Amino acid sequence: MSLNYAYHSAIAGIGATPFTKDSGRTPMDQAVEACLAACEDAGLPPEKINGMVTYSAEQNPEIEVARNLGIDELTHFSMVHHGGGAACGVVAVACQAIYSGAADYVLCYRAFNERSWHRFGAGVQDRPAGAEASEVSFSWSSPFGLVTPASWVAMFATRYMHEYGATTEDFGRVSVVDRDFAATNPYAHFFQRPITLEDHQNSRWIVEPLRLLDCCQETDGAQALLVTTAERAKDLKQKPAVIASAAQGVAEDQHMMRSYYRETITGIPEMGLCARQLYQSSGLSADDIQTAIIYDHFTPLVLPQLEEFGFCERGEAKDFIRDGHLGRDGRLPINTNGGQLGEAYIHGLNGIAEGVRQIRGTSVNQIDNVENVLATAGTAVPTSALILSQPR
Amino acid sequence: MSDEMTDEQKEAFVAKLRREVGSTGTPTVARDPVNQPMIRHWCDAMEDANPLYTDPGAASQGPHGEVAAPPAMLNAWTMIGLVPRINDPKDPASGVYAMLDEAGYVGVVATNSEHVYHRYLKLGDHLTGTVKLVDVSEEKQTALGIGHFVTTETEYLDQNGGHVGSMFFRILKFRPGTGRTASSGDDTANERPPRPRPSRNQDTDFFWQGSRVGELRIQKCLNCGYLQHPPGTRCPACGSTDMGYVVASGKGTLYSYVVSHHPRVPSFDYPLNIGLVELEEGVRLVTNITDCDADQLKVGMPLQAWHMQTHEDVSIPVFRPARAPRNPSTLTFDEVSVGDELPLCPIPLTPTLIVSTAIASRDYQDVHHDRDMALKKGSEDIFMNILTSSGLSARYISDWAGPDAVFKNLKIRLGAPNYPYDCMTMSGSVTAKRESDGEDIVEVSFRGQNSRGPHVTGTVELALARK
Repeated sequence: MSLNYAYHSAIAGIGATPFTKDSGRTPMDQAVEACLAACEDAGLPPEKINGMVTYSAEQNPEIEVARNLGIDELTHFSMVHHGGGAACGVVAVACQAIYSGAADYVLCYRAFNERSWHRFGAGVQDRPAGAEASEVSFSWSSPFGLVTPASWVAMFATRYMHEYGATTEDFGRVSVVDRDFAATNPYAHFFQRPITLEDHQNSRWIVEPLRLLDCCQETDGAQALLVTTAERAKDLKQKPAVIASAAQGVAEDQHMMRSYYRETITGIPEMGLCARQLYQSSGLSADDIQTAIIYDHFTPLVLPQLEEFGFCERGEAKDFIRDGHLGRDGRLPINTNGGQLGEAYIHGLNGIAEGVRQIRGTSVNQIDNVENVLATAGTAVPTSALILSQPR
Repeated sequence: MSDEMTDEQKEAFVAKLRREVGSTGTPTVARDPVNQPMIRHWCDAMEDANPLYTDPGAASQGPHGEVAAPPAMLNAWTMIGLVPRINDPKDPASGVYAMLDEAGYVGVVATNSEHVYHRYLKLGDHLTGTVKLVDVSEEKQTALGIGHFVTTETEYLDQNGGHVGSMFFRILKFRPGTGRTASSGDDTANERPPRPRPSRNQDTDFFWQGSRVGELRIQKCLNCGYLQHPPGTRCPACGSTDMGYVVASGKGTLYSYVVSHHPRVPSFDYPLNIGLVELEEGVRLVTNITDCDADQLKVGMPLQAWHMQTHEDVSIPVFRPARAPRNPSTLTFDEVSVGDELPLCPIPLTPTLIVSTAIASRDYQDVHHDRDMALKKGSEDIFMNILTSSGLSARYISDWAGPDAVFKNLKIRLGAPNYPYDCMTMSGSVTAKRESDGEDIVEVSFRGQNSRGPHVTGTVELALARK
C-alpha cells in the first residue's frame, strides 16, 4: 500500500448549514445547501462537479443531491461503509477517484436530522431480527441490552481504565478541552458555554463509565467538502488544504463497534493501520503535526487514538492529557472547533472542515504556525484518517 | 378485625396483648438430644461442608475436640415440630399469637434473630429452652401489611443447667392484603416486552439450541481445535470448514463491563449490568451479570453461567458471581484486616432449597413448604424461613473464615422475602477487630440481596486463633 495519491489532491471548498437541534427542514434541503456552500467557497460552479462520495447512514442519495444541484453527469459516485468511521474515508476515495482520473471535482457530504427526526444515540434497540449476517451480528449483544453506541464504547473504556489506570476524570479532561474551544466558536452549539471538570463529574451516568458529558451531541445539519487536484485547487478561490494522505483501515477480527474478541481491546489497531499508512506515504510523523481533529463521539476513545498516532506511549495518554497537551497552549491542541461534543456531531465531516480552516489560517481558534493537521474518523468501527498540509 | 376497631378498642387490644409481657412460659425440652442425623440433614440442606459438624476425625483436630452442631442450629433443637406436643395455654408468647390470629393477624414472618453462643453443642447435649415475652408493638403499617411485632427472648440450658446460648427473636403478625405493595407487585414486570430476540441462521443455531437446553456452546474447529466466538463459517486458524462446538464449563472471569442507565429500553431493568466475560476455555462473550449490584462488579471477578429464558423458545446465557470455594484452612486473627471484603456468594433459591432447609431446621410452618397456604396467608409464594437465613449466613461466613472459626454470636434482620426462583447473593466485610475476654474477635457485617432488595442483613462475631 503505497498510497500513490499522497499530496495529489486538496480540499478546495467547505460548506455547512447551521448546526441545530431542530432544523425544521429536510436533510435533503440541508445537503444541497451545504454542497452549494462548498462550491461557492471554492468559487466553482456546481455543474463542474463530476464525482460524489458519501458514507453509510446517509439517507440523501447522491443522484437526488446532484439533481438538485443541477449536475448533469457524474463519472464517479460511491458510498463508503461504516458511518462515522468513513469520515476521512470519503476523502480517501475522492483522492483515489481524482488520482485515477475518474473524476475532477468531487463533493463529499453528510446531512441528517439526527436529533429532531430520530435519535442516533438510541442505537439498535428497534432493529428487526433477521437471518442475514449483518443482523445476526447483533445477536451477540442486543439480547443483553448492549444496544447503544455509548454502551459499545463503554466496554472498551472500562478495560482501558483497568489496564492503564485512566480515570473518568481523564475522559472529562477531553470534554473540558472540547467545550473550551466551543465556547469561543460562534458556530458551535455550546458557544460561550464552557464546562469544568467538576461539571463533567457531576453529569449523570449514561452508561458507566460514560457520563452525559462524555457523549457527543445529536445534531441536525449538513457539511460538505469539495476535493480536486492540488494543482486545480490553486486556481480556485481559497488556499488549498493539500491532502498529504488519507487512509482507511480494518484490522484483525474487526466487528462493528464491538471488536471485543481480540487479544487486547485497549488499542485501536485499525487506527494504528491508518497511522502507519499516513506516516509512510506522507513522510510525516507525529512531530510534524501541530493540531489534530481527534474523533470524539465518546471521550474514552480519544486516548488510544493519541497512542496509535504516536503522540504518546501506549497507556500514557492519560498523562499526556493531564499535562494539558490537548488545550490551547498544549503540544497538540485538538478539536479547535469544539469537536463533536462542543460544535456539532456531523459524523466527523465538520471536524475535517475545521482542519481546512487551520491550514487556511481562518479558524476562530487558530493555532500558530500550522503546517500539518491530522483528522481521524469514527473509532471502534472500520475507520479512516487523513493529514492536511500547507500547499507547497 | 382491627380496622373495624375504634381507637379505644385498639388501645384495649394492645393492652390485652401486653398483659403477659415480662412473663416466661413453660420450659421446652428438646425432643431429641443433639444428634448426628439432624446435623447431617441440616448440613446437606444448607450445603454446609464444614467437616467439624460431621467428620469425627477432622473434628477431633478442631477447636472443639469432637463433632459439634452448627451453632446456627441453636433454636432448631427445641422447635415444636410437625405435631405440636406442647400446648401450654399459659405460655405468654403462644397466647399472644393466638389472640392475634383470632383478630385476623394470621400472616406471620420472622424479622429478627439474634443468637448468642456461650459454647458449641456436642452430640448428646440435651437442650431446654425457656421463652420470655419481651414486647408487643403498637399496630404498625409495614410493607407486608398492618400488624404487630412480637419480641421474645429464649434462654437455652443444657442437661446440667448450664447456659449454652440465647436468642432474641422478633416476628411480625400481620393482616394479609393490607400491605403497601399489596396491589402493585409484579404488574410492571408482566407488561414488560420481551428482550430483543436473537437473530439466528444456520451458522449460529447451535449456540441458541444449546442455551435452550442449558449448554453454553462455543464453536470449535473440528480439524485444528481452534475455538471462536462469535461463530463463523470457516476456521480462521486452519481454513477448515468442518465446524462443531464444545460445551463450555460456564466458568469465566469478568474481562470488562458497563452499567447502562440511559436510554432505557423497556425490556430491561436498569441500571443494567452488561459484562464481557472471558471463559476459561479462552473466548469472550457479551452477557449480563446478574445477582450482583453494579458497585460489586470488578474486572477479574469469577463468574458462573446460567441460562435465562427470555421467550417461549429462547434462553440466553448470562452470568452471576461464582460461589467461592470453601476455605479449608482457617484464617488467623492477624491475617484479617478491618475493611477486608468477603467474596460474593450467590445462592440460587430453588423450591428444593426453601423446603428442605425449612424441614431440616424443623420449621413446619406451612408458608415455607405449601404454596396454597402461603398464598392464603398473604404471601406471593412459599418463602425461606429465618433459621435458614441464619444457617446460610453462617455457612457463608464459615466458608470464608474456615472451619475452626468459632461463632460467638449471629445477629440477622430480614427484609425482602426469599421466594423461589430468585437468587440471593451474599456479600460482607470485616467491620471490627478486638480482644474480648481473652479472645481475639473479628466482627463481620454481611448482607444477602435478592432481586427485590436485601433479604438479610446482619453481623457476626468470630473468635480466631492468633499466629
